[in-house]
Amino acid sequence: MQIDFSPQGIFLPQIDLWLDPQERCQNGWLSHAHSDHARGLHCHVIGTSHTLRIYRLRWPADPSVSQNLVALDYGESIHHNGARLTAIPAGHIVGAAQLLIEYANERIVYTGDIKLHPPICGAATQIVPCDRLIIESTFGIPIFNFLSREQAAGRMIAFASACLSDGVTPVFIGYPLGRGQEAVHVLCNAGVPTAVHGSIARLIPVYEAAGYSFPGWLPYAARETAGKALVVVPNFRSVLEASGKNTRLAYVSGWAMLDNARSRMGADELIPYSDHGDFAELLEIVARSGAREVDVVHGYAEAFAQILNHRGILARAPHALAARTDQEMPEG
Amino acid sequence: MDRLAQTCEEVARNSSRLKKIAVMAAYLQPLSDADLARAVRFLSSGPIISSDRKFSVGGSILRQAAIAVTGWDQDIYSLCYREVGDTGETIGLLLPGRTEGRVMSLADAEIYYARLYKMPRAADKAELLKEIFASHLPTTIKYFVKMITGNLRIGLQAKMVEEAVASATGVPHEKIRQANNRLGDLAQIALAARHGNLHQIEARLFHPMDFMLARPLEDLDGLRDPENYYIEDKYDGIRSQAHVENKRVMLFSRGMEEVTNGFPEIVAAMKTLPGSAVLDGEILAWRDGHAMAFTVLQQRIARKKVAAAMMEAIPVVFMAYDVLYYNGRMLVDAPVEERRAILETLLHDCLSPLLLSPQAHAETTEDIDRAFAQARADGNEGLLLKRRASVYEPGRRTGAWWKLKRPYGTLDVVVTAAEQGHGRRAASLSDYTFAVRSGEKFVNVGKAYSGLTDQEIRDLTRILRAATLERFGRVSLVRPEVVLEVAFDGVQKSARHKSGYALRFPRILRWRADKTVAECDDLARVKELYEASLRGPHPGQA
Repeated sequence: MQIDFSPQGIFLPQIDLWLDPQERCQNGWLSHAHSDHARGLHCHVIGTSHTLRIYRLRWPADPSVSQNLVALDYGESIHHNGARLTAIPAGHIVGAAQLLIEYANERIVYTGDIKLHPPICGAATQIVPCDRLIIESTFGIPIFNFLSREQAAGRMIAFASACLSDGVTPVFIGYPLGRGQEAVHVLCNAGVPTAVHGSIARLIPVYEAAGYSFPGWLPYAARETAGKALVVVPNFRSVLEASGKNTRLAYVSGWAMLDNARSRMGADELIPYSDHGDFAELLEIVARSGAREVDVVHGYAEAFAQILNHRGILARAPHALAARTDQEMPEG
Repeated sequence: MDRLAQTCEEVARNSSRLKKIAVMAAYLQPLSDADLARAVRFLSSGPIISSDRKFSVGGSILRQAAIAVTGWDQDIYSLCYREVGDTGETIGLLLPGRTEGRVMSLADAEIYYARLYKMPRAADKAELLKEIFASHLPTTIKYFVKMITGNLRIGLQAKMVEEAVASATGVPHEKIRQANNRLGDLAQIALAARHGNLHQIEARLFHPMDFMLARPLEDLDGLRDPENYYIEDKYDGIRSQAHVENKRVMLFSRGMEEVTNGFPEIVAAMKTLPGSAVLDGEILAWRDGHAMAFTVLQQRIARKKVAAAMMEAIPVVFMAYDVLYYNGRMLVDAPVEERRAILETLLHDCLSPLLLSPQAHAETTEDIDRAFAQARADGNEGLLLKRRASVYEPGRRTGAWWKLKRPYGTLDVVVTAAEQGHGRRAASLSDYTFAVRSGEKFVNVGKAYSGLTDQEIRDLTRILRAATLERFGRVSLVRPEVVLEVAFDGVQKSARHKSGYALRFPRILRWRADKTVAECDDLARVKELYEASLRGPHPGQA
């Protein structure tokens, strides 16, 4: 099957389908609802129910654009221009899915963003056999070796408790979708009083609908932080600094693998855990898929493709998408 | 060593200075004498103390061993290093799953370092490193290597190690600090402090002490109280320390290297001094009562042994400006006035090549301004200001000494290559190689990595990434389009750059986003500045 890679996304011309399109198009598959994947007002939008719900919150309907949202949940299949499309869980965040495309005796899997080991919040990833795999490589070099969700949760709770017993406010930096809710979920269930920044709190109902509990979380209020853990978005850090509050900061991220994250983020505690797979997980996904051909997109695409080539797997890094590595550090 | 590595990780995790010191002290306190000495030595002066030879285990040997043990090729290793920005950390991150995880004691580490130090061949060092990497815990290896590369990057400054030793031995920090200034061997001081023998620590002649450093001052607006300073010329030579006793003389440079053999006429003059002393001063190329440009002195220091013809062509002097020790007494804690009096008595009537740096007293900023102009007219770099009643603080750059330099000149240059920084700046292109115009081409004249704000570095990183033509590891060759204004302290000949010249101490004054490449300076201007510097006194332009 022909696959075209470009800065506008990945396009499958024979079945007129875009994967994570970056610009408005006719038919688009949204692997998950992070804003670098789910964006724009496409005519036909396919994704899991959770993904579509978050997408709609973030990209409200425009009355001048007629849209058709098609829910395709885990394990479900639909026919699309002669191909069979099936959604497969991808672990990454709530709603994240891989897409299996079966067309003319060929099986292609597009992972979107993926985590192999069970995430704190999100479905357990399944690996389906395929002929050709399109995989991400946000952390596709061997220095990345993350904690399991149990270890990460343990470190988060220990950090929060140690801070609170020192009379210091523990602060967790999380993205508005994903890490933020995971941190709140872990802390609330460990009985740590937790105040949550608005843009993270906004998506808590979606996570509740997906079956995750957040007992006793409170909205963030500048004057009522004593004795609480705070979960805030990255650019809120400067507000906290300016407030002069006595805080200590934990950075939970794949990038927390590197000591330089400490000065870059102003973090005290680094907890290397991500909603992306680490290097070993990515290798395992490729191996278990049995794919003969692999396209690597995002992050360390060229290096990861080179490593696969050395292992006898035909792998490429289509250049048009690899350009993203030169921008700001992606979510991780 | 495993516990020391864990302690370093713990120190890194705590941003509070007091907490870092407490964590380190808690680790040091229960150690045996031998281990206390080892740990303190690793933390304060690196793997090995040696006066005669450097500990030469460089990046390429470490890389070679890491590649062999981890099985990753050069490309992947280099990419990993580029992301991490620290050799020890990179190796530590690549090792999990590939080591036996055996215990490494501090004694083991000491033996490893000693073996590495003694091996003459790089290939043998790499072999031994492979064995070490494959045997021990990744976190231990991380710090084992950081000790070698010399920067732990855990926010533990030298002074904090002193404080941890003070806290672990129950001795006031001030006492430890003074002893360390005298002896410069914190490990031995830790043991003496633990056993109550600190008063027995004596200065060791013929072992270099740290030099006191001056803070740079580019203009006088920052100086509130000119009347509180003594003024001396700031000389542009080789800062050095002379140790003298009973006709025995040794000269050390800032890098603590011995340079005695390069300057026989100075050694001969020092031998005539009575008693014992440690002098701080500057070695200068000297003719007709004036210092010659550093570029002239440089031609002489390129030689290990000095021929008579060279001594004739480029005569040198020792311009003394401080005394740290005299006839059995340490003077670092004596006020500048007392040290000056001793220095004047000691060098009373002395002749070239042993000179006493003239000292004056400032009342107003105008006095300082005039003295600056005179210093420049005399061919010196600028002024050194010493605060009244200040003590000599080895290894410190406090506000007790200021150096007023003002740049020799400025040039508009264009960036031709950019390199990733280290540590905090590992993710940005923060080191810039720059060039001037030469016909249709650009030729490099220097490299600078300071002077811009973090925000400017982020912006430039974006622009330079987009302008990248080719990448070699950490270095990106870029299309010449970013213009910077650089200040520098001189121009010298250089075989390293195609232009044939290099700027001395270049620093970035500002990013000239308003200027185009066509407007930057050309090679003819650089030549002009070089030739002017050979003619003698600085032009004195600011």
